[in-house]
Amino acid sequence: MNRALLRLSLACLVMFALLLININYVQAFEATSLAGKPGNGRTFNEQFQYQRGSIVAAGDGGNTKIAASRLVKNGNGTYQRYYPAGPVYAPVTGYDSIFSATGIEAAENKWLSGTDPRLQVHNLISLITGKPKLGATVSLTISPRAQQAAYQALASDGGHQAAVVAMDPRTGAILALASYPTFNPNDYATLSGTTLNKVDARYRANPAQPLLNRALNATYAPGSSFKIVTSSAAFSTHLVANPNTPVAAPNTLPIGSGHVLINDNNEVCGNLNPPIIQAFWLSCNTAFGKLGIRLSGAVLRQYADAFGVNNPNLKIPLPVSPSVVPLETDPAFTAFTAIGQFNDQVTPLQEAMFSAAIANHGTLMTPHLVQSVTAPDLQVIDAAAPAPLSHPVTPTVASYLTQMMVQVTQNPAGTAYATANPSVAGVQIAGKTGTAQNGVNNGNLDDAVFTCFAPAANPKIAVGVIVKGGGFGADAAAPIAVKVIQAYLKVK
Amino acid sequence: MTGFPAALGAPAVSSAPVPMPRGRRRTELLMLAFAVLVVAMADAFTGLGLDGKVPSNLAVYCGGFAAVMLGAHLAVRKFAPWADPLMLPLAGLLNGLGLVMIYRLQESGRHGNPGIVISTLTSSAAMIQLMWTVVGVAVFVAVLVLIREPRVLQRYTYTLGAVGLVLLAIPALLPSSMSAVQGAKVWIIVGGFSIQPGEFAKLALAVFFAGYLVAKRDVLALAGRRFLGIDLPRGRDLGPVLIAWGASLLILVFETDIGQSALFFGLFVAMIYVATQRTSWLLIGILLFVGGAYIASTLFSHVGSRFAVWLHPFTAANVFCNPATQTHCVPSYQLAQGLYGLGFGGIFGTGLGHGQPYLTPLVQSDFIITAFGEELGLTGLMVVLLLFGLLVQRGLRAAIAVKDPFAKLLAGGLAFVLALQVFVIVGGVTRLIPLTGITTPFLSQGGSSLVASWALIALLMRISNSARKPAPQPIQDEGMTQVVRAG
Repeated sequence: MNRALLRLSLACLVMFALLLININYVQAFEATSLAGKPGNGRTFNEQFQYQRGSIVAAGDGGNTKIAASRLVKNGNGTYQRYYPAGPVYAPVTGYDSIFSATGIEAAENKWLSGTDPRLQVHNLISLITGKPKLGATVSLTISPRAQQAAYQALASDGGHQAAVVAMDPRTGAILALASYPTFNPNDYATLSGTTLNKVDARYRANPAQPLLNRALNATYAPGSSFKIVTSSAAFSTHLVANPNTPVAAPNTLPIGSGHVLINDNNEVCGNLNPPIIQAFWLSCNTAFGKLGIRLSGAVLRQYADAFGVNNPNLKIPLPVSPSVVPLETDPAFTAFTAIGQFNDQVTPLQEAMFSAAIANHGTLMTPHLVQSVTAPDLQVIDAAAPAPLSHPVTPTVASYLTQMMVQVTQNPAGTAYATANPSVAGVQIAGKTGTAQNGVNNGNLDDAVFTCFAPAANPKIAVGVIVKGGGFGADAAAPIAVKVIQAYLKVK
Repeated sequence: MTGFPAALGAPAVSSAPVPMPRGRRRTELLMLAFAVLVVAMADAFTGLGLDGKVPSNLAVYCGGFAAVMLGAHLAVRKFAPWADPLMLPLAGLLNGLGLVMIYRLQESGRHGNPGIVISTLTSSAAMIQLMWTVVGVAVFVAVLVLIREPRVLQRYTYTLGAVGLVLLAIPALLPSSMSAVQGAKVWIIVGGFSIQPGEFAKLALAVFFAGYLVAKRDVLALAGRRFLGIDLPRGRDLGPVLIAWGASLLILVFETDIGQSALFFGLFVAMIYVATQRTSWLLIGILLFVGGAYIASTLFSHVGSRFAVWLHPFTAANVFCNPATQTHCVPSYQLAQGLYGLGFGGIFGTGLGHGQPYLTPLVQSDFIITAFGEELGLTGLMVVLLLFGLLVQRGLRAAIAVKDPFAKLLAGGLAFVLALQVFVIVGGVTRLIPLTGITTPFLSQGGSSLVASWALIALLMRISNSARKPAPQPIQDEGMTQVVRAG
């Protein structure tokens, strides 16, 4: 019988081996996915029993704490989140509530909560040494100076729905990201479920949509600011040789079916055959509409894509709604696309990206918010490496665009001369205004758009601004961009 | 001739005495002391983890536990001096860890400790479990005292067979109010006092199977036809296996207890295989069980739901429980919570007292292994499983070493059923196989399982005593022996 007993022993060995393999799978490999299952009460209970990592704004070289956890005496948990600057950084940080999280709080949760495997060695050491578990600190590229200026500028703009994004064109680092109206994330940091539900219901019922992050997740017509893309395509395809090449700018441009395209307020564009640079600073619709038709919808879309449009996968790491420039085949629609009207829809971030690509000599850097992640032992465990997203134009074409965009603020006839000229701004800004008609039969107030970078000779910041219903781009949007630039570059 | 003058003239010294095999009782005592130390440390860590203080009753629990273990050791010294030296320390360590975990769960949410009070666990659960430990060890000693030789049991083959079947059948025959707890109709409940007769039936039936198979193994092994390279038994010899199969299916149907039925049938199939060494019995057994389980899963919803829960434990519809009272739970809620606990513990565990095992319903019985996994981590859980594995290995070792076929078969069956029980319950709560509610030997809260487990260890130690006992010394002095020549 011993032979059979040995086989039986083997069967027992196999059973124990299976058990050991299985618990290794469950506890070592499946642990992370189990922790993320909805309805896992342990994860839920645990999140307030230790200090969640801080979020700091490090864009000015300092470390401004914009979200932190503090010990509270009462409530369901021990630690409570708080946001020292209230609503200023809300579109960036989002909130961390007992039920859900948004913004960086959600996107970087694995670091902040300390669940990422790369933090577990540290946590293990803490466990052995008896120190409390801590989350990692997430440092953002946000510049507190630029962010404060952006929030103040939007908040003092008469309550328009608006958003600003500023980025460093050389790295793609996002310096400011503001949306208005916004919310106070401290309202969501309550540990009481009933209070939280009330707060959330109130914000959701607000027709101004304070929870909407307009900088990333709302799209608007780019208007004339899209002429940057149309010009880029024209230079790159050698349809237009250089900024001084004349282009046709008739008072009316027939676009088929008896429709015509006209310039704003029926303005006359120079001598009706001005150099493209003049058509650009005057922002003549007919000149660029005609260029668009000559370029074709496919080429326009190709260059729009190169500038980052039509990308549904962009994450900074907050998810960014795709900006849309559809493929137009009809000449009328192509003309509208070329001047940023009709079906074109872009985010304020995309506006900043238009300028950033030009400012960085034709190379668009991937926009990003997270500069580094620091473990509680101050060891840097993750750091951003600036990487190009695309190369929409050559350095030569970028220099042509820079020349044209400088004229927009510098030439007394330029659309943004009054609000963004060097003596007003204290710095030479290269920009492009946009005034997008919208609504049924263009019945609504125009959206004001401004995209720019500064200083023009040595760009350090690119800004995109959209003010919904703000009216003329130069009047409503440009001053906001100027304030952000001034704050960031410390001019005036 | 100058080599060893002194030795030359010396009278021939008899060769060195035959080395006596050692009983290794001192090893046992040392290992037992180690086991008690581990348990005392675990108890202290539990208190430190819960409220930062060494529990005030450390002396009572650990002193009591140590005294009981010492008593068991002394009994082994007296009644089974040649028995395996590791079985008692292993069983003691597992029992002690179970006590500590039940204490930890009982303290959850009580006396200002963190967590939620486990409503199904009274505040004296650990003390009651300690009392059951005393009873268990008393039964352990009684078995060693009463059964001095394994073959004594062989005389009661059919008596014990009948006792086993009756014990199994009682809960099915009793009204649900006297036999059902949490849907499993496997109890005898009289006046607030409840026992699980199946735990004892398991032992009685193991003895019956051993006795029966030793008697019939030749006919079961030899008669039959060869078909496709497999020796098939004769039709009429299939009788016993069909009866065992039928009985296990009846348990399945009437007592809604797949775990017990798998255990009995597995025990029977393993023992018939060892007795006959014929693979055909193994194949027939496995086919019968898998077929029976499949048919049962389609016919009876409570069996089928086990499969559904196993395949989709996180499906929203399956994860439901009244959060306030933790009652009316769909089983998958329990399984999911157990898995969350295991994942939460990760590789190194939260530490005793730092986890949230109270979130898993009835964590103190079927799911206690997940509490170990949560608070001691993968590392601790592997240690617990290896303790069981070692215990099984010591049992199988005794089976291989012992000469008496009845004892061999019994030891093999008992060691296998212990392994199978651990596999079924640990595999169930870790989602390796569909979950069936049976107790974890030595660890789960409850007296029946603990007492039966101690009786099982006593039987294994009795058999290992027989295996290791040196043969009587032959009388060597020829002068005393008279050779009688016959014819």
